[in-house]
Amino acid sequence: MNLVGALIALAALLAATVAFGVFLNWRQSQARRDIDHEVVEPHRLGADGLGEVATLLQFSTELCARCPGVHRTLAAIADDHPGVRHLDVDLTHRPDIAKHFRVLQTPTTLVLDRNGVVQTRFGGAPGRDVLELELNRLIAEDANV
Amino acid sequence: MSERTDASRPRGIDPRGPRFAAGITAVLLLIDVFLGLTGLSTASTPQGWAISSASVAERFLDPAFLVLLAASLLFLWGVVSPRTAPLGALFRKAVAPRLAAPTELEDPRPPRFAQGVGLFVAALGLVLQLLGVPWALTIAAAAAFVAAFLNAVFGLCLGCQLYLLLQRAGIVGRTRPAAA
Repeated sequence: MNLVGALIALAALLAATVAFGVFLNWRQSQARRDIDHEVVEPHRLGADGLGEVATLLQFSTELCARCPGVHRTLAAIADDHPGVRHLDVDLTHRPDIAKHFRVLQTPTTLVLDRNGVVQTRFGGAPGRDVLELELNRLIAEDANV
Repeated sequence: MSERTDASRPRGIDPRGPRFAAGITAVLLLIDVFLGLTGLSTASTPQGWAISSASVAERFLDPAFLVLLAASLLFLWGVVSPRTAPLGALFRKAVAPRLAAPTELEDPRPPRFAQGVGLFVAALGLVLQLLGVPWALTIAAAAAFVAAFLNAVFGLCLGCQLYLLLQRAGIVGRTRPAAA
């Protein structure tokens, strides 16, 4: 390949990589609601119970760079909202749980309502504002019941 | 209220260290893609691919091969001994003192795992180049570049995010059956 062709290819590679990174970042902030709304049993995850209003269920692994940051964000949110509980489940040695919830990437965060029903799913590291939005929706629904 | 189910974690590292190293690695790999595009890896002659008729020594001495070999050795160093790896040492000696103290520390295992993924991809390219496969080295360098660039610029660690996927495919990790 000649020099000009190689430089064009490099520019294309760079542009495609940037676009891919922007896309991944964008997708991570998207809440997904078109999911299986199943009821989560806390005992199967090694927890003694769920939050009274809502539960932020985080899946992590030992080899996950962004999980500790998400853990801190979710813990802070749970601290600010009474009745909201944060559970962090390490899937490194629990492929059965990963398979059950079809977790292909970590962190993955599920937002459960007061009955333990999965309402929203986040793949990746969601921003605090989108999480608060989802949570406030659940809290408002809870107040209406 | 918050809790996690595991307890022990190794001592944390400055998260900017691996990203700094990934940035330099990305530049090195981008140069390597350029060398691959202009060199033996992708060159064709009227008789077919140039690499097919080149000797193993010629395949080895291709500049793109040597640069990717250097990148592989950096990856290997990062896997075997992350604390003494040259780019990490450079960050601690020359860059970290000029920055504010880190606001949070990171688990050293994910970046180390990422180095292993990079090593795997780069080594695959090197082996295929020695076997005379056209484009293999260039594509491997490009793939490693994408991962290093995303890590440096966006803080994304593809290997870490896909760890579960790799584990399920049986490529990495132990799958200890759980007592549920």
